[in-house]
This record gives sequence, structure tokens and C-alpha cells, in this order.
Amino acid sequence: MMNMNRLIVSRTFRIGERLLGCHARHAGQEELRLQQRRSIKTHCRHLAYAKDLFLGQVNKAEVFPYPEIGNDEVEEIKQLVAPVEKFFSDDVDSAKIDREATIPLETLQGLKDLGLFGIMIPEEYGGLGLSHTIYARLNEIIALDGSIAVTLAAHQAIGLKGILIAGNEAQKKKYLPKLASGEHIAAFCLTEPGSGSDAASIQTRATLSEDGKHYLINGSKIWISNGGMADIMTVFARTEVEVDGVKKDKISAFIVERAFGGIASGKPEDKLGIRGSNTCELSFDNVPVPVENVIGEIGGGFKIAMNILNSGRFSMGSSCAGMIKKLIELTSEYAATRKQFNKSLSEFGMIQEKFAMMALNAFVMESMAYLTAGMMDRPGVPDCSLEAAMVKVFSSEGGWICVSEALQVLGGLGYTKNYPFERFVRDCRILPIFEGTNEILRMYIALTGMQYAGKILTGKIKEMKKGNIGLAIGMVGKKLRTSLGASVDLGLTGKDGVVHPSLEDSAKKLEQNVSLFGSTVESLLYRYGKTIVDEQLVLKRVADVLIHMYAMTAVLSRASRSISIGLRNHDHEVLLANTFCNDAFFKNNYWMVQLQKHSPENNDANIKKIAKQVLENRAYICSHPLERTY
Amino acid sequence: MKGSRCLHQLKSLRLLSHAGRRLPPAAAAAGDNGALFRLHSSSLLGGSQCPQREVLRHFHSSPARTKSQPARFVQEEDKTRDKSLVAHDDLFEQVAKETKTKATFNKVIDVYTKRDIRRRGHVEFIYAALKKMPEFGVEKDLTVYNKLLDVFPKEVFVPQNFIQRMFNHYPRQQECGVQLLEQMESYGIMPNTETKVLLVQIFGEKTHPMRKYQRIMYWFPKFMHANPFPIPKQLPEDPVDLARFSLTRMANDWDAKVTVYQLPCTDITDSGAEVTLPHIVGIQSPSQMEALAKHNPCRPVFVEGPFPLWMRKTCVYYYVLRADPAPPEEKIEEPYDPERCFMYPLQLDLDLDRDLGDDESFDVEDLDDGPVFAMCMTSQGDQATLNQWISGLQQSNPILGQIPTLFRLGAGPRELQGVGDTDSASGTWFSSHAHKEEADPGEDAEAVVEEEPRRSQGVKQ
Repeated sequence: MMNMNRLIVSRTFRIGERLLGCHARHAGQEELRLQQRRSIKTHCRHLAYAKDLFLGQVNKAEVFPYPEIGNDEVEEIKQLVAPVEKFFSDDVDSAKIDREATIPLETLQGLKDLGLFGIMIPEEYGGLGLSHTIYARLNEIIALDGSIAVTLAAHQAIGLKGILIAGNEAQKKKYLPKLASGEHIAAFCLTEPGSGSDAASIQTRATLSEDGKHYLINGSKIWISNGGMADIMTVFARTEVEVDGVKKDKISAFIVERAFGGIASGKPEDKLGIRGSNTCELSFDNVPVPVENVIGEIGGGFKIAMNILNSGRFSMGSSCAGMIKKLIELTSEYAATRKQFNKSLSEFGMIQEKFAMMALNAFVMESMAYLTAGMMDRPGVPDCSLEAAMVKVFSSEGGWICVSEALQVLGGLGYTKNYPFERFVRDCRILPIFEGTNEILRMYIALTGMQYAGKILTGKIKEMKKGNIGLAIGMVGKKLRTSLGASVDLGLTGKDGVVHPSLEDSAKKLEQNVSLFGSTVESLLYRYGKTIVDEQLVLKRVADVLIHMYAMTAVLSRASRSISIGLRNHDHEVLLANTFCNDAFFKNNYWMVQLQKHSPENNDANIKKIAKQVLENRAYICSHPLERTY
Repeated sequence: MKGSRCLHQLKSLRLLSHAGRRLPPAAAAAGDNGALFRLHSSSLLGGSQCPQREVLRHFHSSPARTKSQPARFVQEEDKTRDKSLVAHDDLFEQVAKETKTKATFNKVIDVYTKRDIRRRGHVEFIYAALKKMPEFGVEKDLTVYNKLLDVFPKEVFVPQNFIQRMFNHYPRQQECGVQLLEQMESYGIMPNTETKVLLVQIFGEKTHPMRKYQRIMYWFPKFMHANPFPIPKQLPEDPVDLARFSLTRMANDWDAKVTVYQLPCTDITDSGAEVTLPHIVGIQSPSQMEALAKHNPCRPVFVEGPFPLWMRKTCVYYYVLRADPAPPEEKIEEPYDPERCFMYPLQLDLDLDRDLGDDESFDVEDLDDGPVFAMCMTSQGDQATLNQWISGLQQSNPILGQIPTLFRLGAGPRELQGVGDTDSASGTWFSSHAHKEEADPGEDAEAVVEEEPRRSQGVKQ
């Protein structure tokens, strides 16, 4: 994985430069100066906050202080956000979109006029050329309608991302302007009936025509968001490539226009939620694609697909946060006005708990999303795919819980179509599924870190296995010290501390978690080695712990900054941060105890056994309680 | 307690006197051997004696007792009293001349219970009846066992005081009761509440038969579902259904698909000869199809059989399509492709193996038996029929057209049918071994190594 990342980094260097150039809005001209600046920046910073946690280290320079945007950008946001907010509150009828399962043309036109189809496309190609941070901010508003959010995300977060990050200049010039204006809509075609994340089972094939000028694409793709209305598609297909004289099948990415002919889209899927977004099957029948429409090089589609998928996820945090904030407004009004037993609902503890939970979740998601976006906006080509995946997992699951709790506050009313809550619940259900299911992302999170830590720890573990006494005594000593209550100091607080003193306790908890996590990872590597790939239940806990530690970091960083610069209601932020950290600390400890060998808290063996017996019989196998044998 | 004893004695005395009075008319029919039915019908005529008997019966409140008692049998019982056991066997033999069914068996019990209120020799009678049960085909009938148990006189053997309870009270009777329950047990018949009530009435609580009953009731429910692959009590009659059922049971794969290649039918050809087409039922799972598709076409596949499969007391025969295990040089593991999964690494690039302490796998000596690609059942195991199966398989497995198919058919099922009577558990073992010994030596000599001409044209070697 490390190797791969490095490869990707080196390959995407040029792309990054270009992106950077756009970002600085001096594309091409001052490349030399830029290059220097970037190289200095990248050398002085590590690119691995989350990965270092696997070693029990806190790379505080990476996440402290909380990323800020310049004053000019703040202005920009103010100018942008107001019209978008107005548009969404006045011109978007979400209930109608949901009912009719289509987004009206006027609404789409309005979105195009606002420039929302090209938020991250550089200005030179006609887009808004905005940073990840501002993209995340806009997504808070866009997420108020799930169908629109998904349509836009399918268009720009994955659909045209291939051209943006791996396309050549000619391709960008040809396609991006029309995509930015929304004249053309993009779609991302990867999934097939027999292939989800498995590249080997992709059946769509591109064969070079006899004259060598075209590739002919044949096959079918399913669940393509925007499939019915897309004009430009990023299609992944199998191609024959010669590697070291041996012919091999490799995945390549193509830009396919609907105008090429031979593309048929099926009936839009009837979905549970995000009903206004268009999802359908696409079939390709000898679609001729000119060779210049290959993205990157032929056979390089795998990495492009991976990069697109990895880069598209970070915005879900802010989307969910935006949605929860809206839900809090909607439900708190009801809770304050509805009276039972001469008391308003808001006076009941169990209702209060729900609001606290929503506020906590929104706060944590926001913190994680903007921390990650800020990291991605830094110069260089930061690889934040791990962080982005963590944001996605945390926010999609938190979002689901919050939405259903919000509905619960309204009780039966929330269950009816008279209120928007049931729609939010339905829309929200897709979040843990698309852009990589949470299960797969947990594998990605845990395994990426394990690979990183494994590379560094292999030597030490081998020594330990050989029976190096000095090392063993050192380990025992360390364990003794921690068990006797010696506090862990990773430098978050104290003399060179970065965390505000009012958050000191929480910071200590994070440090303690991180240090325990480091030794847990070490013992897991010792125990399982490379076979840890097969221990999915272990990996799930590793991922969960990491996600919560990253979340703790984000809230600590954000709240520290808020106190320090005196933002309004920063005391509330401190309260939220401390509450969340306390909660996460105990959860993490519990999970890590479960990860110990022979832990009585760990039920994995039984869980596997139950599942095995059920799956063998493909049914719930218990006898009915009313049955008798005599 | 004493009172009831006295009452009991008094009652038996009165009964005796009754019997004495009824003797003469019974003597008239004494010589009539086989006419049990007539006896019974004539006993119906003697309804006038009913009220008297009703009074007596209140002492033994047996629910299963029939209403009328044959008057004339008391005499017969007197006659055979000294003839011991044989007499009861005779009683069954007499009836058996007609037919051996549940009805006649019940009739015998009725006759016995009605001819003497004292039930002399009931222990012998019950032993004899137990022995005869399989002959009458009632060895698995709970109601019959209950009826047989009802032959025991009630309350007589119930221990009345602690000394009786301490020592083995009426040991022969208790033993007989246990024997009856044991036979039920060996046939897998679970007693019901009626059995329990009877046992309590006959022997009382905490006696040997009652203990036996309790043990049965403890273990039977526990073992009832011990078999994870239950076979229905009643196997399907239709050979195609039976084949479908047995193949599915053997394959034990939810995805395996049963195909009926040919239904059994009888045709009359133009020349007037009658041709019976055998049924051919095959099963194959998707994973077997996949394995077959990957099979190296240069190496032959074999059709082997017949192999016996016992389903309760029925033996069916099946054939398999299999290959020899691939030689080690042909087994290539798919190399790890780092570009396989879009989302996460499928393998870690680490030089660390699982720690010994966490290695929970067992060391199992793996013997590669070679893959089985499909199975079939047919009523006629000749090569032509099996060929039909293979060509049917070829439609879904086109690769079979390129692989040479060899038929290695052992001796047919004819010689094995003799084992059919053995009980299923031991029978399976015995017959399969018997079959092996029988078939193996012959296999080398007779093995029909012959390719099907039609398909061998397509062989590419």
C-alpha cells in the first residue's frame, strides 16, 4: 500500500502542480517559484497524522492549530453562501422532488446559474475554482436536499474528477468548460452487475479498432448516478496491455460522450431515498471512443479510479453536519412548543439527550470535515485518503442515528409525510452504502495503517520473537509504568502544548488512547502478522478506535482555536469537546480491551460461529419456542 | 390400605364363583380352535351379563378395557393353563392363519383380556406378544404397546408399604414391564401420557418400569433431533423423487441444481417391442461447474459407480463424474494482483507471519481425492444410459466435449440387493464394504475403458 501510494504520489505530481497552480490562480506562469515553494513545504511536513497514530505517536504539527482560511476566502464564502442558501430555501421543493422522483429543469438551471456544477473546476476552465474547504462549506447547504446533493456529487466529486486529476491539457480544455457550466453533466461508470470493488471481475471491455484510432467499448454498468442524463462519462473498461512481453488485461479509464452513439440507458431505479437523483443502468454496445479520450495512459485506470474514489469522500462530513444543524432547528421548535403534562417536551431528560447527541455529532463531524479539508488544501499533494475515509464512516453513521432520533422527537408526526423527517431518514440511508461501503472503508482504514506500522515495526517484532531479552524487559517495564498510572505525555499539553488548558483533561485522554493504541497495534502485528487481513472483526475495532481518535483530535484542535481567538460561544464548544472526548475515551478503551488476547469482553469466536451456522442453513435455525418433542 | 386389600380378595372370590357358574356353556365351544371371530361375536350376544361385570370392574378402573367379555374363553384358559408359554404363541398362530394385521393383533389381546378376569399368565402372554409384534407389523405402534400394557392387572403390584417398596415387589411383573418399554425404546417409540398413567396404575410410582419410562422420556426428546440430516419417515415412492431427494442430500449444497435428464417411460417401438426408458436424474452445483470448466482437457474424467446409498431401509445407487487429483505441477496459485480491489489492499506487504500462539488451525493430513464434478442416479446403470447423462451435462458444461470421458462401471446393483433386509445403520457399513470387495477386483478386469465415439471426435490432445 505504501509503495502504491508513493507511486500514485509521484504520478500525480504533475497533476498536483496543476491543481496547485489553479488554486494559486497563476496557472503555469510561475511554475518554477511554485515548485520551490511546494518542495520546501512538503519536505518539512509529514503526510501522515492518522498513520502515525498506529505507532502511538501524535504528529501534532499536522493537526494543530486548526486550519484557517484567509480573510479573502471568508469574504468569498459570504458572497457565495447567501445566494445558495436563498436558492435552497426558496426555489427548491424537496418534497416535490422526492414525490415526483425527478429534479425539475428550472431547479437544475438554477443550480447551473449559481455555478454549483463546477465548484472545484479551476477558473481557467470556467469553474469557480474553489478550495476543498469552501466546497465542504457549500455542501452543508446543498445537502439539505439529498437528491440534488447526490446529483452534484456524482457530477463533480466523481464524474468529472477523472479529467480533473488525470486528464491531459487537451481533454481539460475540451470538456471541463461545458461541465463547469452544467451544459454537460458527468457520470462515473465503474460498478457492474458482477463487480463492486473487485477490479478483476469487470467485464466491460475496450478493444482497439483495426485502424488504431478508436477503442470500441462493450459491456454494461449498473447503478450509475446521473446515468440517464449524463453527456460525459468516465468509463472504466478492461483493455489488453502488454507488460514485459506478456499480454495482460488491465483497467483503463475513458472519457465517453453520449454523442459517440451506442449507449443505452435503462429505466431509472426506483429507490428508497434520494429519489430525485437519476440512477440507472447503462449499456455500451460497440461505442467508439477515440484514443485521445483515454484518461492517463492505457492500463492505468486502476489508480485513477482509486484516486477519484479516495478524494471524493471528505465532503460527507460537512454535508451531514449541515443536515443535522437543520434538523436541530426543525425539531427544537416542536420540542419547545409541544406540551405534555403541562410540561414542554424540551423539559424531559430523554428528549434533551437527543438534542445533546445531535449537537455533539454535528460538532464532531464539522470539526473532522474542515480539519480534513484544510489538510487537503495545503500545498503539495497531501494524501488524506485515510482521513477522508474516516470522516465518511463517522459522519454517515452519526448522520443516520441523528436523523432517526430527530424523527423520534416528533414521534408519530415524524413518521408521516407531512413532515420532512421521513424523507431525511430515507435519504440518509444511502450514506453508509455509497462511495465505498462503511465496511470496506473500515478495512481500508485499518489495513492502510497496519501496513504502515508493520513496515516500521517488522524489525522490532522479529527481535521480540527471537527472544531478545533487553527488548522484552523494556516492554514489560513500559507496561508496568502505564499500569501503575504513569501519565502518558505526547506533548499536547504542558510547556510546548498546543491544546488549551481548559481541554487538558481531554487531551490527556487522547494521549492515553494513542499510546495504548500504539501498543495494541504492535501486539496485533505480533500476533497476526500479515494474516491480519483475514481478521475482519479485529480490523473493524482498529478502524473504530482510529476514527474516534481522529475525531477527538479534530474537536480538541477546533475548540482550542475557538477559545484562543475568542469565537462566539466557545465555552459551548469546550463543553461539547470535553463531553465527546470523555465518551470516546471509554469507548476506545473498551474496544482496545476487546483486542487483547483472551479478552473475556471479546465475543468474536461466538459471533463467527453463530454466523457460520446460520449461513450454512441459510435460515434462522432455532426451533420455534412453541414446538415440543414429547 | 388393608381395607382395599380385603376388598380385592373379596372381589376375586366373587369373580371365581362367577366363572364357575359360567363354565358349562363355555365348554361346548372349547374344541373350536380357529373360530375366534365367532367367539367374539357370540360374546356380544351375552350382553345380559353386563351389569354384573360393570360392578366388578369398578375395582380396576382401566380405561382401555373393552365393554364385553367373552364368556366361553375362561374355559379355554383353564384348559391351556398348564401348557405354559407355548399356549400364548399358539393363540397368535391361530389368528395368524387369517391375516397378520394390527386388527387381528388387537383382537388377540382382547380375547386374552376378556377370557379371565384374573389374567392368569399375563406375563407370559405379554412376552409372547412382544415377540410376535414385528410379525404383525405393529412393532412401531404406540397404541398397541399401550393396549398390551393394559393387560397387566391394575393396582395389584403397587407396593403398599415401605418394605415392599424397598424390596423388589413382584419382580417378574416389573421385569416384564421394563422389557415392554425396552422394546418400545429399541423401535424408537416414545411413550405418551397414557403409558405413564397405565404404569402408575399397574406398578406405582418409583418402580423399575416407571424409572425406565422416566429415562426414556429424558433421553428420547434429547436425541429426537440429533441427526442434522433427517430422513423423512416416509420416503418418496416415485424413483425420480427419491433420486432427487437422495442426490440433494448427498450433495449438501444449497446451490446444487437437480436436473432430470430423462423421465421413466415405456414406449412401444414400431416393431412392437416394449422399450423401457430408465430415469436419469443428475445434480451439479455451480462450484462443480466452475471446477469442471477449469479442468485440464488433456486429462480424462471418469464416470464411476454404482455406489450404494442407504436411505433407511431402501438402497439406491448413484454414479459420479470425477477426475484424478491434479498433479502438483498443474496447481498454480493465482498470484496476488495489487490492482484487484479498488478500495483496500487485499494483502499486506509484510514479512510477519501469524504467531504460533494465535494459530488455531489443526494439523490435518489432507488427502486429495480428486474432484467430483457431478452425480447422477438412474435405474439402469449401463454405459448407454450414463452416456445420455454425460451428453446432458455437456449442454451446461461445454468443456466436456473436449475432455475424454472414461466409463469405469463396477458390477451392477443386482448382486447387492440381498443385503436389503439389514437394518440401516449396520447395513450401510456392511453393504458398502461388501460392495467394495465385490466390485474392486472386478473393476480392473472389466473396466470399460472406452470413449464415446460421438464426442471423442472433438477431443483435442
